This record gives sequence, C-alpha cells and structure tokens, in this order.
Amino acid sequence: MRISRRDFFTYCKNSSAALALGTTQLGLLQKALAATTGPTVLWLQGAACSGCSVSFLNRIAPSAPATAADVLMQTVNLAYHPALMGATGELAVAQAKRAYDNGGYILVVEGGVPTAFGGNTCLAWTVQGKDTTFQQAVLDYSARASQVIAVGTCASYGGVAAAAPNPTGVKGVSAVSLKNTLNIPGCPPHPDWIVWAIAHLLTNSVGPLDCSNRPIGLYGQSIHQNCWRLAAYQANQHATAYGQDNLCLFDLGCHGPQTQAACPSTGWNNMANWCVDANATCLGCTSPAFPFAALRRTTNANNGD
Amino acid sequence: MPTTVTSIDPVTRLEGHLKIEVTIASDSGSQKVVDAKATGTMFRGLENILVGRPPDDAPDITQRICGVCPVSHGMAAVTALDKAAGLQAPDNARIMRNLVLGANYIQSHILHFYHLAVQDFIDGPNMPPWQPSWSTDKRVDKATTDVLVGHYVTALDMRRMAHEMGALFGGRLPHPPAFVPGGFTNSVRPDRISSFQSYLGVLIPFIQNTYIPDVEALASYYPDYYNVGGGTGNLMAFGVFDLDASGANKLLRSGRVQNASTAQQTMDPNQITEQVAYSWYANSTNNLKPSSGQTTPQFPKTNAYSWLKAPRYQNAPYEVGPLARMWVNGDYSRGISVLDRHLARAQETLKVALALQTWVAQLDPSAPVYKQYSTPEEGSAFGLTEAPRGALGHWVRINNHKIANYQVVTPTCWNASPMDNAGVHGPLEQAVIGTTVLNAAEPVEVLRVIHSYDPCLACAVHVMRPKEGVRVFALGAVPGA
Repeated sequence: MRISRRDFFTYCKNSSAALALGTTQLGLLQKALAATTGPTVLWLQGAACSGCSVSFLNRIAPSAPATAADVLMQTVNLAYHPALMGATGELAVAQAKRAYDNGGYILVVEGGVPTAFGGNTCLAWTVQGKDTTFQQAVLDYSARASQVIAVGTCASYGGVAAAAPNPTGVKGVSAVSLKNTLNIPGCPPHPDWIVWAIAHLLTNSVGPLDCSNRPIGLYGQSIHQNCWRLAAYQANQHATAYGQDNLCLFDLGCHGPQTQAACPSTGWNNMANWCVDANATCLGCTSPAFPFAALRRTTNANNGD
Repeated sequence: MPTTVTSIDPVTRLEGHLKIEVTIASDSGSQKVVDAKATGTMFRGLENILVGRPPDDAPDITQRICGVCPVSHGMAAVTALDKAAGLQAPDNARIMRNLVLGANYIQSHILHFYHLAVQDFIDGPNMPPWQPSWSTDKRVDKATTDVLVGHYVTALDMRRMAHEMGALFGGRLPHPPAFVPGGFTNSVRPDRISSFQSYLGVLIPFIQNTYIPDVEALASYYPDYYNVGGGTGNLMAFGVFDLDASGANKLLRSGRVQNASTAQQTMDPNQITEQVAYSWYANSTNNLKPSSGQTTPQFPKTNAYSWLKAPRYQNAPYEVGPLARMWVNGDYSRGISVLDRHLARAQETLKVALALQTWVAQLDPSAPVYKQYSTPEEGSAFGLTEAPRGALGHWVRINNHKIANYQVVTPTCWNASPMDNAGVHGPLEQAVIGTTVLNAAEPVEVLRVIHSYDPCLACAVHVMRPKEGVRVFALGAVPGA
C-alpha cells in the first residue's frame, strides 16, 4: 500500500485548482518531498471533540495518494497523534519528546486551550507522576516548532468551549503561545483545508493572512459570494422554512454572508453534499466568533416573533 | 503482597481524555490488577454554555461534545426539543434522522475495530504513527497480520464512505447541520436515495465478508479473551432507531438485565441519578436526577479523581454499548467479555446496515420533512437514544423561550464512571480489576479491556503500590517490594 512522494506530488498537481498551488510552488513541493523522511508532525489534542481528526480521515482526492492513510504513509512523519498512534503511555510521550529535542517540527493543535483552574481541566499526559496540563504542553511544544497550525475553530479562537460563560477559560493556541500560528478554522475544517495548510507550509507559499490569521488563499471569499443559491438571493427567492430546495436561506438566519470559507467550491464528504445544499443555514463555523450568541434564527411560540 | 509498578499515560487510540490508575499485585508468580480508578481529564462545561441560549442551538452545540458520535447528540437533542414543544416530526424526518445516525454507527464501529482497537493485538505498519509500539503478547501470524494491516487501509475508505453516505442527507459529517427540532432541513431527493443505496452496496459486503470474519479470526488467536474484562454484568440500553412516529417500536429496544442474566427488566429514566462523591463537582449537586442536575465544577476536591460524574440506575452501575443493546434486544447472549464486545459490535453493524436498506426505500419525496417548530415559553423534556458506544440522554428545561437547564449523560459516563457514593467502582474499573498482566512494563491486557468499551476519551493508566499508598509513575518494570 506504499504510496510514493511522487504520487503525492501528482495529487497536488492534479488538484492544484482546489489547492491553489502554482507551478513554482509545485516545484518547491516536489523538492520538499524528495527528502528520505517526511517532515515530522506532532498533533496534540486539547479541549476538543476529535471532530477535526475524524474530518481529516475523510480525505479523498481525485488521484493517488487518495486518502489520509496515503498522506500518513509517505508524506509526513506523524510522530505523535493520540487517537492514531500505536505507542501508548510513556512510549508515546517519548516520541513527542524526541521531536521536541530535535526541534523544527510542525506542531498541529486540535482543540482549545483551557486556562482556568490552573489548566487542570485538560491534561496532555502524565510522566513520572507529574501531570502536564494541555496549556503547558502548548507553551512548551510551540516554542521549538518550526511552524504551528491551529486546526479547527477551537484551536484557532477557542470555539464552542470558549462560548459564554467560557466555564474553563478556553483560549485559542496563539492567544496562549503568542507565537505566529496558521489558523485553519472550521467546526470541523474540511480535510482538503488541512492538507492545503501542510502543503503550503512545506513549500513556504502560504501567502498573506487575514486579520484572523487565516490564509487568504483559502478563506479569502465568503460563502455567500460563491453560494450555489446566489441567484435565488438576487432574485429575492427566499425559503420560509426548512425543507425547501433551491431557495436562499437568508431569511432563516444563514451566516453565509459573514462567513469566509471555501465550502461552495470544496463541498463536503467527497462532494456528497454541503450545509446549504441540505437546506441547512451556514452556521458560520469558520468565524472567530463562532458559535455566536445564537446559531440559528429562532421562532418563539406565543409572542409571534 | 509484592507489587510491580508501571505507568501508561496517555492510553492512546481513544477519543478524548481519560486516565486510569491501576494497582498490580504479584502473587504466586502471576500478576493481577487489584484496583483501578478511571479519571476523565477533560471538562469543557458545554451544559453550562447552553444555559441562556435559544433551545434551537442545542442540537448543534451538543454535537460538538464528540466528533466521533455527533449524530447521536443531535438525535437526543431534537428528540427532547420535539417533546418539549409537543410536536411529532414527519415520517420523512424520522427516517432521515435514522439514516444519518445509522451511517455514523457504521463509520464509528469500523473505525473502532480497525483503527483504534486492533493494534492491541497486532503490529501496525513499520513506521510512525503505528510504530514504535508494545510487543507483548502479539500472537497473530505474519500472513494474517499482513491481511489485517491491509484491511486497516481498506477500512479507512469504508468509514469514509459511510460518512459520505450519511452526508447525503445530513449535509456533511462530522457535525451534520440538518438535525433541527420539527424535523429535518434536507428534502428527499431521489438521486440521493439511489446514491445512498449504492454506498450500502459496498458497505454491506465489507461488513459481511471482511469486518465480521476479521473479528472472528482475531478471536481464534485470543480465545482466552472470552474470559477477560467481564465488568459489572449489568447491561442497559435506552433503545434506538424509532420505527414509528411514537417511538414505541425501535430496531434496538430499551431495557436492562442484571448479573448477566437474560431476564429482561424495564428501563425507567426516572431511576437514574448522577453521583459526584468522587468527581470534581460540588457535593451540593450530589445524587440529583438529570432532569434537575447541576454541573458545578470544584477543583481541587478531597477524594475526587475524575471530571466524569457517576450515573447510576437505582444506585447500581450499568454497562452500556453495542453488547448491552444486542443483549437486551435478544440478538446476542454468548457472554460478557472483551471479545463479546467486539463481536456484538460487528454483528450490530450488519444489523443496522441491513435496516438502512429497508428504511431508505421508505422515504417519500412528495411528503413533508419539516413541521413548523416554535420554541415554547416553558417546558421540560428528555431525549433518550443510543450513541455507537452506548446509551445517551439529554434533559432540557426551557424557561422564557431560553434553555434554563441542560444535562447530558453520555455512554462513557456510564462505562468509565468513577466510584459512586457507596464506593462501588464503575463498569470499566470493575472490568480492569482482576485482569492478569503478563508483563507489567507493557500491560497490554489492560488496554484491550479499556478499548473493548470503545470509550470516548483518551486514557492514562497509572499503577500504584497498594500498601504504601504511594503512586509511583515510572516506565519500566520496577521489582516489587
């Protein structure tokens, strides 16, 4: 089942539209992947639900390497991932520590960073009787990383766990580490967005970021401006309730106009569907303010609201 | 009694954060776990975040409890909200909710066996993230190991396709946006029905010809695991997959048994309380019913060792999950053990997949999917369902059109619960206690027991010296006193 780096390159080339890799970047990527071992990646999970990891596993591309397994087998050296790795206990932690000692790894963080209760509402691991809070692990491991990717809205900005009243004082990764961090928000992010981040970091071609530290190459356009139902909006054809096909969902409280994400072009789950095409309003899950004060427009009984 | 000390932290290949402290004692040349404490090591307080929000937000917010089983939280939430508003969702909505939930059962069960559990028994590919790993008690021959590693990769495709199948109706996975009180957002499009059927045409043969035979093959190498990890013997199911609008008939019914008997007893949600004597929550919130439950963190707290509460039914611990469901439904009765959990899970996967085939054909493109929902000014209700890993309940109280209280009791709270007010261990703790360990430096037997429950947590296992009461956390075997 070995997939070569050459195949990964082929994938990137074939799907370069979605990945937005130019010819120069493709050349750089080929060079980066020519190393005998892929770049070391450490993937830490904090105040998270594992939805970002599960979404990553849903990756499928039009040509080899088609899947997450292919990326893991030949593209990167995933030295630490608590949900996927064979090692357990201190043998697992030792893999992270070895990378830490060498430095220069890519640190991927999934989940927010709890800071209340001394960080004790989320532990990363315990070694020799000493608990390490996730907050401490993020501080330590971001310090020696060459790059930090915050995968998902929780790691980027705090996300659902940081919603009012933020019971555990959750913050995004960069708010704790104060280090440059590439934010790839989404609850969860699309698998292609995660691969986009890795490929562009490897080729040093991430490009400009917006004021929320999201790459403009990926988050530069709103859901609304590329929405499949933009014509319905322009023709003032609005859905009045769920279950109505092809109509604009604006009156149901769609967050699409305020939400920067590539969903209309990447679709979801191998283009099986996406929120709007399921007549569900965009929930704005890539936004720094997600999940807002309310996610959907509500209708109350009695008061005619 | 001499003891050997080792530590595992974190236990990997689980969802989330859990720590288990285990005491291993050496006696007459064999080593056995004599005590265990399960510790949930992450608390986010999503129940408190829901207070004051519009009830419509509950399905979306609670799905973020778990990225592996979000659909079950969506299902529990809409069930509770429908009841609170006194409305019954249209049949199409009931069916589409079941289709998305069933699709996620298939992805979750396949993921659990091939990507989380199987590496306790075989060596994965010779590279990170699969290696290095423990080598103790790996019995499967190389040819079979190679087949299973190949199936690891195939199974990644299968679980991905199960998610794609669910997204056809759910919008996307994980965290489908289509679960709303009143019904479902998505319409019934004939092209999606046929696409769903095409996916089943791939998944059902995989479950029949690969997944179930692989579990049986593994069992043939480890038959002693029919006698390991028994646990409490109390099994409970809330029931799941409504077959009619009232929910009276389900594919997997609700009920419970005690002491591994087959004598059915009814399950009355009013008999459930949550005990916090050993949990990091204020004692003033102890032993409350979920309908009036409170989540008031208190850290540190004397004697407490977990962020999980300890749910109990008439003060007794119960195991929940596929084995409990299949047992209560009369579909499985071979025994309660590590292997029985894997076998029941695999057989349930097939049962659900075959049911999906029937249900998708019942969708009616010309009938409604949604009934106008309005948030009641006040009301309270609960929604009971089953996540892939066991019984799940949401309890909601609405006041002034807002959520006044929300309590969630997850399956892993049942299975990995800490001790209760009477000092009785939770099911997973009980299952670990008594397990014989070959090599205390690599207590893989403990991992196998933990993973058989498919806990929705990342674990840490510690081993302590029982007599001295001093916890020692050092990797590697330390000769006992």
